[in-house]
Amino acid sequence: MVEENLVKDVVKEPYKYGFVTDIETEKIEKGLNEDIIRLISHKKEEPKYLLDFRLKAFKKWQKMEEPDWAGLGYKQIDYQDIIYYSAPKQKEKISSLDEVDPKLLETFDKLGIPLTEQKKLTNVAVDAVFDSVSIATTFREELAEHGVIFCSISEAVKNHSDLIEKYLGTVVPASDNYFAALNSAVFSDGSFVYIPKGVTCPMDLSSYFRINSGDSGQFERTLIIAEESSSVSYLEGCTAPMFDTNTLHAAVVELIALDDASIKYSTVQNWYAGDEEGVGGIFNFVTKRGKCLGKRSKISWSQVETGSAITWKYPSCILLGEESIGEFYSVALTNNLQKADTGTKMIHIGPKTKSTIVSKGISAGNSINSYRGLVKMGTKATGSRNYSQCDSMLIGDQASANTFPYIKSQQPNSEIEHEASTCRISEDQLFYLQSRGIEFEEAISMMVSGFCRDVFNQLPMEFAAEADKLLALKLEGSVG
Amino acid sequence: MKIIEKIKTNKLIDNPTEIQKFCLHKLQSRPLPNFKSELWRLSNKSKFSEFLDYSVNEKEPKFDIPFSKNSQNTIRLIIGENRQINLIEENYSIEQLSEDKLDEYFKEQISYFDQNQNWSDLLNLSLSCTKNILGLKINGSKIPPIEIFSHASNNSLSAKTLVIILEKNCDIELLQVNLGKENSSLSQSTFFCIEENSSLNHGVVSYGEKRSNLLNSLNVIQHKNSEYNLGTLHFKFNYARFEICIKQSVGEAKTNIKSMQITKKDEQISTYTRIDFNGPDGFLDQINKSLADDKSHAIFEGSIIVPKIAQKTDASQLSRNLLLSNFAQIDTKPQLEIIADDVKCKHGATISQLNEEELFYMRTRGITLPEASKLQLSSYFQEIISFIPVSKDRWNLLDKLLNEN
Repeated sequence: MVEENLVKDVVKEPYKYGFVTDIETEKIEKGLNEDIIRLISHKKEEPKYLLDFRLKAFKKWQKMEEPDWAGLGYKQIDYQDIIYYSAPKQKEKISSLDEVDPKLLETFDKLGIPLTEQKKLTNVAVDAVFDSVSIATTFREELAEHGVIFCSISEAVKNHSDLIEKYLGTVVPASDNYFAALNSAVFSDGSFVYIPKGVTCPMDLSSYFRINSGDSGQFERTLIIAEESSSVSYLEGCTAPMFDTNTLHAAVVELIALDDASIKYSTVQNWYAGDEEGVGGIFNFVTKRGKCLGKRSKISWSQVETGSAITWKYPSCILLGEESIGEFYSVALTNNLQKADTGTKMIHIGPKTKSTIVSKGISAGNSINSYRGLVKMGTKATGSRNYSQCDSMLIGDQASANTFPYIKSQQPNSEIEHEASTCRISEDQLFYLQSRGIEFEEAISMMVSGFCRDVFNQLPMEFAAEADKLLALKLEGSVG
Repeated sequence: MKIIEKIKTNKLIDNPTEIQKFCLHKLQSRPLPNFKSELWRLSNKSKFSEFLDYSVNEKEPKFDIPFSKNSQNTIRLIIGENRQINLIEENYSIEQLSEDKLDEYFKEQISYFDQNQNWSDLLNLSLSCTKNILGLKINGSKIPPIEIFSHASNNSLSAKTLVIILEKNCDIELLQVNLGKENSSLSQSTFFCIEENSSLNHGVVSYGEKRSNLLNSLNVIQHKNSEYNLGTLHFKFNYARFEICIKQSVGEAKTNIKSMQITKKDEQISTYTRIDFNGPDGFLDQINKSLADDKSHAIFEGSIIVPKIAQKTDASQLSRNLLLSNFAQIDTKPQLEIIADDVKCKHGATISQLNEEELFYMRTRGITLPEASKLQLSSYFQEIISFIPVSKDRWNLLDKLLNEN
């Protein structure tokens, strides 16, 4: 069919973030053992409690088995063939952006990340993480005026050790799961955010993660603490170069919201997904969890997952505080041979807690896209409510869409509602749009965008437009 | 677990048949199901051990059929009763399958078995002696309703197997009744083959007494243009597990399922369903209801599998649950696995308690709270019960349930 070919041509558009930055990097030797962990800790000049935390996690990891319940069937990962620390060589301490290697700035410039002064007008503070280290954080002074701490986690370990010691590993314990344990043992960098009591963060905070070397994994750790009556919106973006080998990304994100606090965490994940034959691509194993500790606290996850060869990701909320709220809005798109197993966990522990799940999965090509979610009402969650909606859209007859919702209730005075549906791009709708003079690709893109509208409405402005474009780009050529 | 010990030491039964030997051999390599797998993860291990802690007693006491009066025009059969069945009437025939035919049938079935998924069938077929296997071939039209009984005996584990081959252009109503006894275990496996243009209205009613256990498995193969309607009700078991596996062999078939499980005290009753669409134009409408009270645990897990070949499948699955106590729990997991793109599939699940607004409305009309709750429950039960075929009045299922709840 002409239309099919047309679409295929468009889909072949290369991954535009697949370039490699030629920069001198400092890498440690491959492999994982106690000495490597000590070396990472030493390089980062960490206090003893953190080294102990890492070693304990490593011991636990050694005893754990890699999970296979998601049935992702990926190539076995050789954990001894990975470099666990890689950093671009630069001056020891950076006092201003002018001291950052211009090549790095150029890289982030190419990616459209506003690190340089002229781009600061966008009013988004950015923490840019390149392989294992944080390169730069913008708008620090402005944020500091409001008492907001936004820095790399390595800096936070040095300057705000008390907060790190108090909160690190409290939401995702080191022994939580295989990949969280691995991350706890070798995490290199990531972002740290602290919003003091009563402060509404004056701008959106953003982290940008870039994997540059092909043989090193990225293990970042993010910790966000929102004190009483504070609020913050945090954005995360990710890209990686194209390599024929698979690169491991195992991150941990911990969010803590105290009384009346609210955290909005948005992700656009566009790691390299491998080529059409499934060669290369990022293995993305992420543990993201938020704890609504305080009364009336709120944690909202919104994500657009388009990249990675393998995605294994379940951003969750533990709703402890009375009347706390958890939200999850997700669009996951898989094409070619991508496999995504993603969803959320809403654990209702406190009374009158509420959660909403809206998940949209789009599978095209030969990909597998699964929603796997858990909603649990504990014995004390009286008057709690959950509403879940998972819709899948199938494009082509080779793609697969699965839904696995686990629902458990131990509280009669609570309500759970779940609904799921599967559909395809309707030929009637397509015909209608085309008969109105709308081009084929545009019609598809409009329909996909309409399908995802519930989620896009939840994304911050900067991301919503980008997500729409990204989806259109990724999908083109897969519809026949 | 007496049974497992016996499986391991190969002392399960005297003079096993070839099929029994084969199944036993399969079980010996892994005697217990994999409790880490999704199919068995939620099963209460200690209750499951209770199930396996009885010995097989081949000499069963005589069984009296309930409601023996008032059952004219119904063919009533008891599995395990040594009676030759050969009904050849003007419009229809019901013949018993010979041992050789059954052997042949089981050999083919076993070749498709998955050790974990069909563990209950493997156990059943290794325990079920020739006497306890009832195989029927049904043909013709205007067939009177059929009731088939399986019963357990006190302090023992009984295994009963039922095979029904429904030939082309047949239309029957069949009620299967599984009765538990005090301190007993019953393993019931049922195999149906519904051939082209046939329709089966099937009811399964299982109820036990104090500390009775049940492992009930149902395997159905539907051919082209066949229709299978299933209404089930499970209650009063210390431990009961109902596994339903339906295959639409070439699609173009209709399946309707309405199932319900009611748990009280510390009971655990679970329903697992798996519907495979192996061809296009399949239809499924499924609803499962659970009611959990006291400290009980009700589980539902249903999967719908739509491979690439099954285009234009229309499937819906709904799990509705009532949780009536602070100590009870409900697990539900409706799941869809879809590869075909031109399909309509949806599922839904809800867990709640009785609707407060409805209760309030009735109370403002002068209906007392217990009566109002009963009314609500009766409407909740009625949808399922009215779907169970064969002499519903005689069984008074609704009254039975309402009196107990």
